[in-house]
Amino acid sequence: MKKLKLLWLQSLTCNGNSHSFFNHPDLFAILSKFELIYFPLIDTKYSLEDILHKQLECDILIIEGSIKKGLIKNGVDYSKLIENYAQEAKHIITAGTCATFGGVFKEYDPERISGFCFDKERVKENFNSYKDKLISLPGCPIHPKWLSYVLQMLGSGNTIPIDKLNRPQELYNITVHTGCSRNEYFEWKIDTKGFGHKEGCSFYEHGCQGPYSRGSCNKILWNDTSSKTIVGTPCFGCTEPTFPKERLFFTKTNMGIPATMPLEVSKRAYLTITGIAKSFTIKRLERNIIDYDS
Amino acid sequence: MIVKKLIEKIEGEAELEFSFKSGKIDDVDIKFDLYRGIEEILKGKAPRDALVITPRVCGICNHAHLIASVRALESGFRDAGFTFELSKKAKDIREFTLSCELVQNHIKWLYLTIFPQLNRVLKSDPDDNYALKASYIANTVTKAIAIFAGQWPHSSYAVPGGVTCDPTYIDIISAQNLIDEAIRFTQKVLIGMDLDEYLSIESLSQLKTLGGDFGKLLFTLEDNQLAKIGKSYDRFIVLGESAFFKSAKSIATTTSTIDQRFVKELEQTGTKAKAALYKNRFYEVGPMARAIINKEPIIMSLRKRYRDSLITRIYARVHEVAILLNYTKGLLQNLDITQESCTLKSKATPSDFSGVGTVEAARGSLIHRVKVKESIISKYEIITPTQWNLSNSVEEKRGVAANAMIGLESDELASFVFKSFDVCSVCTTH
Repeated sequence: MKKLKLLWLQSLTCNGNSHSFFNHPDLFAILSKFELIYFPLIDTKYSLEDILHKQLECDILIIEGSIKKGLIKNGVDYSKLIENYAQEAKHIITAGTCATFGGVFKEYDPERISGFCFDKERVKENFNSYKDKLISLPGCPIHPKWLSYVLQMLGSGNTIPIDKLNRPQELYNITVHTGCSRNEYFEWKIDTKGFGHKEGCSFYEHGCQGPYSRGSCNKILWNDTSSKTIVGTPCFGCTEPTFPKERLFFTKTNMGIPATMPLEVSKRAYLTITGIAKSFTIKRLERNIIDYDS
Repeated sequence: MIVKKLIEKIEGEAELEFSFKSGKIDDVDIKFDLYRGIEEILKGKAPRDALVITPRVCGICNHAHLIASVRALESGFRDAGFTFELSKKAKDIREFTLSCELVQNHIKWLYLTIFPQLNRVLKSDPDDNYALKASYIANTVTKAIAIFAGQWPHSSYAVPGGVTCDPTYIDIISAQNLIDEAIRFTQKVLIGMDLDEYLSIESLSQLKTLGGDFGKLLFTLEDNQLAKIGKSYDRFIVLGESAFFKSAKSIATTTSTIDQRFVKELEQTGTKAKAALYKNRFYEVGPMARAIINKEPIIMSLRKRYRDSLITRIYARVHEVAILLNYTKGLLQNLDITQESCTLKSKATPSDFSGVGTVEAARGSLIHRVKVKESIISKYEIITPTQWNLSNSVEEKRGVAANAMIGLESDELASFVFKSFDVCSVCTTH
């Protein structure tokens, strides 16, 4: 089978998605299945000048970074450049929250900066032209294995089940909460005592958005090692169209109850379960996991 | 004659505009045109949100921005009357993750930028294994970061008062294994000798024993008359402090203390980047500056023979890989995990304060300055290392890298010198 041609373009970005993908433990085995037209970190057959000034053929276009109308970079209008390649590509992947929804950089000029086909959750005009070949991979940055999954599915001609924002269901139909090592504390509604403890859940006071953020961070670990929530940092919801929200280290509460409920859980269901869970004391979960003095 | 060159495969891109006179570079303009307005984005946010936003300045040195940011907040908290001390454990874990980030950065620079550019200069065939080597060691040390920070890139695990993690002995052992593996790679592939033996090298004559890719690189530079090019002002500054790096400036043989109030940013024409100067003069920041302030014997020997040339600059950066790996090993050995990870209550925040955080990032000194009024950020300033090294000319003075390219005979050679500073366009403009 002919190798698909892979082109990676960067718009308004920090390069974090390129570096995250570069962390893939099987990077070169994966890349060898494709013909690499351009990737920002590795020497490639074509130079950036070639990419900018010749319309090269590409089968898979990976877009990194937010789209800004009329962005002039390296002497070229990048919004037009990306549209040109997007029209010809067989598949488009928006790699990261910036390219998908606008992300952090959108906040500088919200009127002109957005994702490629979405502006936060709003569908842009060009969505109709691209919806059949678009895969959204939000995350700030992308997880290397989310991208390799998509690339290899496309490379072998498979169809990827997607949701209404074109995100792969396998990756985004679970929440960041799934697989978190602190789940028992969530079940029994035990807050962490502060930062720096392996015990306790960060959902109630410390801003964790894991229960309502889509993503597989705790199923497919970061750097094959860990995740924010495992090490006690709250999930900031970086895969969501709303990223970044405000006051990221604090949980917004109403009458002591988190203002945002776990994904598709009604307040009534949540309060019922919470009331029951809180009426019991689970001694094991009140203690430190490891007692270094014993 | 004017020659324009788009420099790519650095962090982002830069445009160099050379003017040649009688076959030699007579002037050069450095342009960065990607601006994202991070300082503007931070205005109006809660102070701690900076810990999530500022890492997004840069995909390769995001962790340095996190540390600069948390130090700025902590200095502001103290300024507002909070009294707290970080535990040694928290300090050492931050040092560990930051050092690992420097290592992955230097290794990527060496294999993804310097070797390919050397091949272009010498018109020789590139080695297909460069990227593979870069990826292997970068992945090994970023994994070690993730043990404490949860992930790399874009962690926000350093918070006012310490760190969010609470590592166990399994974590420490896993991190030790990864550092040992990175050291093994360094010995086998990079320097071709034992780390201890390498670290004892002090004189130029001992360099002959150096093997590996680093040895090959140094001999190639020497054999092709590339060692002595790329000299600039031979003037250095280090603004960040750690258990390892000392803050000071060095001019000729004199090292003296500095006062950060004399650091200024200046607008430049034709680029989105601002220049950074100390008392209105350009200084070089980065590994060479750190090694000279620290009086690293081998760097002092190189400087004596070659001054601040390409070979000294390249050597200092690779040398830092070896000394930092050795340093991180020690940090893990002495880590007392029974100490507190975070000594400040997670909700404690003064409503009005201003603070400064400085850190030695891969490319040099990085400064974050924050002002908070009525619990929201009213001003945030970021001064990056590359603003020091990669500035254009301001007020008739040439920037450090620009000065280093003057007199060279080809744009490829000048690009090599430019890249020796480890160029990052995303940081320069932010």
